[in-house]
Amino acid sequence: MNLSHFAMFLASVWKEMRVISRDRLALVVFFVMPVLFVLILSLALRDAFGERPGAGFAVLVADADGGTVGQAVVEALRGNPHLRLVLGGHYSEQDIRQAVREGRYKFAVLIPAEASARARRRVADIAAGVPADLVMEPPVELRLLSDPALRGDYRVVLEGGLNLALYAAEMKLARLQLEKNLRALMGKAALTLPQPNDVHVFSPVRHESVSGGRGGQLPTSVQQNAPAWTLLAMFFLTVPLSVSFIREREQGSLFRLQAMAVPSWVVLGGKAALFFGINQIQMALILAASVYVLPLLGGDRLDPGQHPTALLLLGGSASLAAIGFGILVALYARTAEQATSFSAAAIMIMAALGGVLVPKAVMPLFMQQVSVVSPLAWGLDGFLEVFVRGGSIRDVLPDAARLIAFSALCHGIARLRYERRI
Amino acid sequence: MRKPAGHTIQPPDLLPDVMNPTPNTAAATFLAFDGVVKAYPGTRRRALDGVTLSVPRGAFFGLLGPNGAGKTTLLSMLVGRIAPDAGSVRVGGRAIGREVLATIGMSPQEPAIYPTLSARENLEYFGRMQGLRGAHLKERVQFCLDLAEISDAADRRVEQFSGGYKRRLNLVIALIHEPEILLLDETTVAIDPHSRSLIHQRLRELHASGVTIVLSTHYMEEAEQLCQEIAIMNHGRLVIQGRVEALLAAQANDTLVLMLDREPPLALLARLQATPGLRDVVVEGRRILASASPQRLGALLELLRESGVEARSLAYGGGSLEQMFLNLTGAEQEAA
Repeated sequence: MNLSHFAMFLASVWKEMRVISRDRLALVVFFVMPVLFVLILSLALRDAFGERPGAGFAVLVADADGGTVGQAVVEALRGNPHLRLVLGGHYSEQDIRQAVREGRYKFAVLIPAEASARARRRVADIAAGVPADLVMEPPVELRLLSDPALRGDYRVVLEGGLNLALYAAEMKLARLQLEKNLRALMGKAALTLPQPNDVHVFSPVRHESVSGGRGGQLPTSVQQNAPAWTLLAMFFLTVPLSVSFIREREQGSLFRLQAMAVPSWVVLGGKAALFFGINQIQMALILAASVYVLPLLGGDRLDPGQHPTALLLLGGSASLAAIGFGILVALYARTAEQATSFSAAAIMIMAALGGVLVPKAVMPLFMQQVSVVSPLAWGLDGFLEVFVRGGSIRDVLPDAARLIAFSALCHGIARLRYERRI
Repeated sequence: MRKPAGHTIQPPDLLPDVMNPTPNTAAATFLAFDGVVKAYPGTRRRALDGVTLSVPRGAFFGLLGPNGAGKTTLLSMLVGRIAPDAGSVRVGGRAIGREVLATIGMSPQEPAIYPTLSARENLEYFGRMQGLRGAHLKERVQFCLDLAEISDAADRRVEQFSGGYKRRLNLVIALIHEPEILLLDETTVAIDPHSRSLIHQRLRELHASGVTIVLSTHYMEEAEQLCQEIAIMNHGRLVIQGRVEALLAAQANDTLVLMLDREPPLALLARLQATPGLRDVVVEGRRILASASPQRLGALLELLRESGVEARSLAYGGGSLEQMFLNLTGAEQEAA
């Protein structure tokens, strides 16, 4: 490369910028639509990802008891910040079923009348030495009604929570009964056993995320959607890239440049440089919207992590891979229509395989193994490493290296094809 | 293919005196094709089949032939986009390479321009791609705009241009770097008479300034007006090459050529064909060709006057390139 060729390269980039800047619709497609797409999907899928089972769900508690059992259930559900609790003890079961059917409540917990009294009677009989299967009072039954469209894991989590609350109530009733029996036995007017909450035999389970590993950890909606759709937008930009290249070939301007012996890297590089810049602006806009705009709309804020260089490396290498793919398609497609349809289909397949449309973490194992062939998977894995697991530039290097290798392969083949004399 | 009756064009092997009238020496030959063969993948017929052709420095050279004759393939070889399977292509004794390409300006068949850029931006861009910079680039851009007479629209987007303006811009882009050789591929196809006339004028001026011009065209009249020397190709083979006057003189005969002031009415053809002493009457636009004895001229002119047309010129023995072309390519096609 000499200075003259570098000046040609700059002229080529400048020409591409002028051509693109005069296409207003293209600018909207490049910059506005991907941001809107990410905002809409992140909001729409907010509750379908990550560690937010039942987030924001309305749960109706029909407490016909009003005693210890009802209080225990209400307290347990109130302690869950992702549930919106509605108390409706006066509703009939028919009304409650109707409300769940209509989707007004995702769950309804039915606590029967006299539940606390019946529980106390059963505890007293058992404490008096009556075998459990001979106790006259049967176990008290609470029921959980749920929307059939709701994810099964949410229901399991809620059932677990309710059982835990009932177990706590059971313990409380047993302790009270034990106090009563001991007082009678020892002839004391006052005898108080320690409150279970004061005992602390076990400390609460402490959760700790372990970064460095891959898979098994679901990203939140915005952690999944922001990088996924950024990558898809980058790869979809290859469609206008290849179309503009084919149009130049059809118009003859490419032939004219070839007849002028303009080096191939000047012509291909001029286009690549412009689209690389567009990709980086796209990524910056999407990330900015995910960090600053999404929370204002009620979505989760994207935590960009502590390693912006890792994001820059991933964004740059993903863009190079996308551009390489686009130029390769442009050089092999005969018409713009052929390039458009092939690119769109190929990108959607790569996106489906790569975990853009469906997160890799919820794919079956064999599909996760197949997904390693998709460049979008390499990019997405890298971004998730940064956003979900706090990965650094070192952690994303393998993904970036794969993307750059893919790009080099595509550009190399494309350059040979471009320079080939018939 | 239509073949005018009454004109017999000798096949190339019977025209040794007009073939390659310019001595084919290293000094005179500028562009040289030597035994060039080219076959495209997937096709049975060769696009070029042993073409040996020379163009002298400073010539205005016409490359004629029907579609598929191999003209564009020849031009593409000169700009290094197509490599011959056999034979050689040389310019000034050198093989096609970066240095040679810097001396060539190419005006492709379709306007090879960026429609969303202005004429000035197109010229600036292609000028930069030719290595021009700064004041020299600006000077050349303005020169080209003036040459094409499109300065008034220099800053308008090319997509708003008429076909004629686009063709003119297409031509001057090829001149931005002051090439020694100008290759024109059907440059005046489908444009208005004014633009065509302007392009012809500019080409004459360029030729007078020493530029070697190779014009590939379908228009025989255009080649006849502009070119000093022509080559006719058909089915990838060179059918004939020579100076235009020599080729036309070789087919001199008793053909009367009448140029009218306007296209004659249809009824005139029937009356001419019915006129005693006139044979093989052919009407080509404003031109009438016929075999006629000088004694019948008076009656012929009278007939024209009665039909409301006037003769602008009248000559004997003037065969035309078009007739020669039709005969040669027709004969070739029949042989093929």
